[in-house]
Amino acid sequence: MNISNSTSAPNAGEYAGDEVSAIVLDPGYSTTRAGFAGEDVPKSVCPSFYGQIDSDAGPQYLFGENAIHNPLGNLQIKNPWGADGIVEDWETATKVWEFAITSRLTGSKPGNPAKNGLNDGNDTNGDAMDVDLDVDMDGIENLEKPLEDSPLLMTEPGWNSTKAREKYIEIAMEDWGTPAFYLQKTGVLAAFAAGKASGIIIDVGASHTSVTPVLDGMVLRKGVQKSPLAGNFVSNQIRMIYKQAQPEVPLTPHYLVKAKNQVDAGAPAQATYRTFDVPPTDSFRTYEEERVLTEFKESVVEVWPGPGRFSNGPNEEMAKATPGRPYEMPDGWNQVFGVERFRPAEGLFDAAAALQDAENPRPKDEHTISRLIQAAVQQVDADARPLLLQNIVVTGGSTLLYKFNERLNWEINTVYPSTRNKLIAPGTVVERKYAAWIGGSILASLGSFHQLWISRKEYEEHGANIVEKRCR
Amino acid sequence: MPPFKDEQIIIIAPGSETTVAQLGLPESFTPARLRVRSRMFPADAKGQWEPYKVRRRQDQPDKPAEAQNGAPAADDAPKTIANGDDDEVVYEEDRVSEEGAVWPIQEGRIVDWPCFFALIEHVYNAMNPPFHAPILLIAQPAWTPKEHEKLTQFFFEKFKTPAFGLMDAALATSWAYGVHTATVVDVGKDKVDVTAISEFIPHTQGRVVSLAGCGGEALTQGLLTKLKTKGFTRDMCEQLKKNPICEILPVGIPLPGSDGLPEADPVTNPAAAASTGATGSGAAAAAAIGNVPRGPGADTEVGEEAAEDAEGVLDVASIVAGGKMNEYLAKKEKEKQDKVITKKKGVETSATAARPIRLPNARREKATFLYEDHVLLDTLKNMNLGTKGMADAHAALDEGPQRRGQDAENSADGEPRSAVEANGVHEPGSATARTGHIRREIEVGHERFQAATSNNVLEKIADAVHRTISSMDEVKKRSELWDALIVCGNGSKVRGFKDALVAILQTKYLISPSSATMFTSEIPSNISTPLGTGANTPQPQLGPHGGASQVNPLLLAATTSQNPLLGPPGNNPMIPGMPTHNMHSSHGQTPTSIKFVKPPEYFPEWKDVGFDESAFLGAQVAAKVIFVVDQGQSKGYMTRPDYNEQGPMGIHDYGL
Repeated sequence: MNISNSTSAPNAGEYAGDEVSAIVLDPGYSTTRAGFAGEDVPKSVCPSFYGQIDSDAGPQYLFGENAIHNPLGNLQIKNPWGADGIVEDWETATKVWEFAITSRLTGSKPGNPAKNGLNDGNDTNGDAMDVDLDVDMDGIENLEKPLEDSPLLMTEPGWNSTKAREKYIEIAMEDWGTPAFYLQKTGVLAAFAAGKASGIIIDVGASHTSVTPVLDGMVLRKGVQKSPLAGNFVSNQIRMIYKQAQPEVPLTPHYLVKAKNQVDAGAPAQATYRTFDVPPTDSFRTYEEERVLTEFKESVVEVWPGPGRFSNGPNEEMAKATPGRPYEMPDGWNQVFGVERFRPAEGLFDAAAALQDAENPRPKDEHTISRLIQAAVQQVDADARPLLLQNIVVTGGSTLLYKFNERLNWEINTVYPSTRNKLIAPGTVVERKYAAWIGGSILASLGSFHQLWISRKEYEEHGANIVEKRCR
Repeated sequence: MPPFKDEQIIIIAPGSETTVAQLGLPESFTPARLRVRSRMFPADAKGQWEPYKVRRRQDQPDKPAEAQNGAPAADDAPKTIANGDDDEVVYEEDRVSEEGAVWPIQEGRIVDWPCFFALIEHVYNAMNPPFHAPILLIAQPAWTPKEHEKLTQFFFEKFKTPAFGLMDAALATSWAYGVHTATVVDVGKDKVDVTAISEFIPHTQGRVVSLAGCGGEALTQGLLTKLKTKGFTRDMCEQLKKNPICEILPVGIPLPGSDGLPEADPVTNPAAAASTGATGSGAAAAAAIGNVPRGPGADTEVGEEAAEDAEGVLDVASIVAGGKMNEYLAKKEKEKQDKVITKKKGVETSATAARPIRLPNARREKATFLYEDHVLLDTLKNMNLGTKGMADAHAALDEGPQRRGQDAENSADGEPRSAVEANGVHEPGSATARTGHIRREIEVGHERFQAATSNNVLEKIADAVHRTISSMDEVKKRSELWDALIVCGNGSKVRGFKDALVAILQTKYLISPSSATMFTSEIPSNISTPLGTGANTPQPQLGPHGGASQVNPLLLAATTSQNPLLGPPGNNPMIPGMPTHNMHSSHGQTPTSIKFVKPPEYFPEWKDVGFDESAFLGAQVAAKVIFVVDQGQSKGYMTRPDYNEQGPMGIHDYGL
């Protein structure tokens, strides 16, 4: 049986359409999203954190969800991203990203290019089909690079440096051997995911909040604003609330608890704890605590919805009248959080309301979300402003905080009372969390997109600098 | 007219340890008929694989001596393929031995593709299917989309199958249970997969795939670390694990006879618990997860009898190999007689000593099981004894038959089942009878309860379940997921495993109603705080079901608010305009309850063996639906024309 008669082989160098599965990689501070273009959710969402165990034989790296939640002795949890929102540790970043792609998408052992379907009709023609597959599969060298058959679309933050951008393409081309590459900014992609070519994209992630004005699919670079007031900032605020509470709220991550017992609200926990011969490091504990804080954010924390700031006038009194929300720690300690639950996120909008201590100085006023929006809009032509304000796309995991959008809406309307401001916040969690990836998936599966790919040949001809010219 | 008939459909479920398959859907769904160990042996020719170990040997064509030995050894006759003249080289197919086997699937991943394809081919040929046979393959969660393509290509091109479908193992399990939302914990050989399924869609983002060191093998290793000092081998532990005497006790149940071992059960030590030093100074009680071997400390305190027993557990294979078989046998015989004597004494002195079987397993300090000594058998075979010598040695060393009369399960038919099967594991084609077991009786102490303690298997799985459900994007779905737990996979067959797992989940993760909110936020504030008079206590007749219901309306409201479908029609009159976010629903912590899904009632054949392989049952249901009932409307499978048109990549467009 000759099946290839009915299959037309894609032409070499034509990487587009539905024939070839491009991979979309959207690396973030907290998670790295990867998946095939054309799909509606990333198949692979891996933590960007990685584990490291230092031993005499040199550091041992651990990747993936399963490994980094496993309390091994001396395990450190690290993150390749730097404080400025640009990748710092390229070596491990490459490995983390590669893990995200290979573990769930392509398989750790890359497929035989003659058999993976991409080259149907080229060398698996005719009688080759009848050769025993066992024999064919055997002895294929493992030197293949992980992405040899898939074009790669990567996302980058709007403030990425030239050097970092060149590094991206180098990794993709040299380390992964991808046949074609393209780099796009998260802001643009999030706008695409919302079906907009122009708009202001407010992305509240883990490490950074960014505001990106996009006009006709192009980022207005000078308008891109970022601030460190994002998810991790809220986490820190929660930690401070715990610390400043009387008595102090114990933050014990799950891995330390063997069994918990029910105790009265506010009473000290009565749990059985696990002990370790060689305990994991503090960074591991911090990372595991973050899981507890995430749950706290999901189930307790609330953004003061307005009108007015939380500290203004009678708002705090009003908040006190609302029923509190109970929260139970992994060790069984529990309490009702009343008015405190409004505090952690308030700093995102009102720098003065943020809790402070020695390690956490008062955030800068210009870093609050409303000031970022103002600064971004300021950089845009006055005629374009109304258009942008009609398309305010909200994305990022931290925007899922309860009542976040209500507050954002109020803030924007306060700053721009005379324009028609419209928030576009997808209702489903998936679309909010993975907007940039989804946009990438849409973009890479467009038939007309394939002329934008930077092919391997072009890269070899022009060098890494080609991203600067081609990916604007 | 459906495109396929029931009896044509092939279902294959590859696993790290066992691959099961079946041709045809029976009227009432049965467990898989074909069971094959997932391993192949490299054949002489490179790139070729054999399903069984093939041995070369010089054969002395003695008439098999088993006939004289009577029934006991009848099943032990090695199966010879060619029975030629004197001194002829004979290739013997050894169906028991696993020497040099290659296991193509490890931790759910396919690591050796040629071997895997050979295995599938072997399975396919063993079923001898007709030409027009569609195939449904149960896919492990660890398989990537690229690998799905590879498999698609293989199946279409190797078997020329008219239709091929891939079904996710976790999804198949949920089909078997007939639930649309579930948390499936699949305990395999070396790994555990935890999948949250919501409305029949597996949640891929937070799925815990191939969590290493938590499967059945980890339990075996757990036993091994405990029993190594007593001369147990891995194989012994493996068989012990499969025996019903091995059990995982839920937290808090003391080990029988463990009074002398306080550190083995730190849960019962509340003094230590109260300490705040969570990071701890590391008293050696619970070793860190992973391969940190326990020091000998825990194992030193063993009864004298156990130490004596260790003599019997010694590596018989090396004794035999060293040519000291006869000495060993003499000694063994003497021991046996001693035992009989003591046993008789025991009958006279105390009834309990003579009949320990009456006690539940969890209370017995020691128990014995029959061990099939494969190493010994291999040794014997490699010694080239010839049929006669083989049979003699065999009959002398085998301790199995003497117990057979007592074991009801073994006396059922003329073909004795091995002790291994006691937990329901049927070896490949038990009709062809695995031959040549040499069984020995082994006694173990309370270590048999500690399979999961030293490497924290259950805690790791519990954490994985928590992570999986916590990563569910839609917060309000989480409580549903906690209430629909399914534990499947043959690794979870060990007695007590599921209960122990749920016990851990409950002690570690269950959120108890906060005492502070019991009368404020849990219940809407428009109900006044009940006074001690009882006047405000809600009366059952106020409930929505009229006077008939004895359900506490508050309880009803609390439970039904999570799932509006379950709620009574109309609003609960007690609680109008209930604010949703204060209930444990959209914005609240989970879990407030943890429950198993009840296994389906209407599959009598499955009820007997248990639902550990329910993925296969689900695949049968699904195969019936996609291949027969809906006539291909749901695009549950890819047809050959589809394949010809789209190539392997098209497989992603098909499936449930």
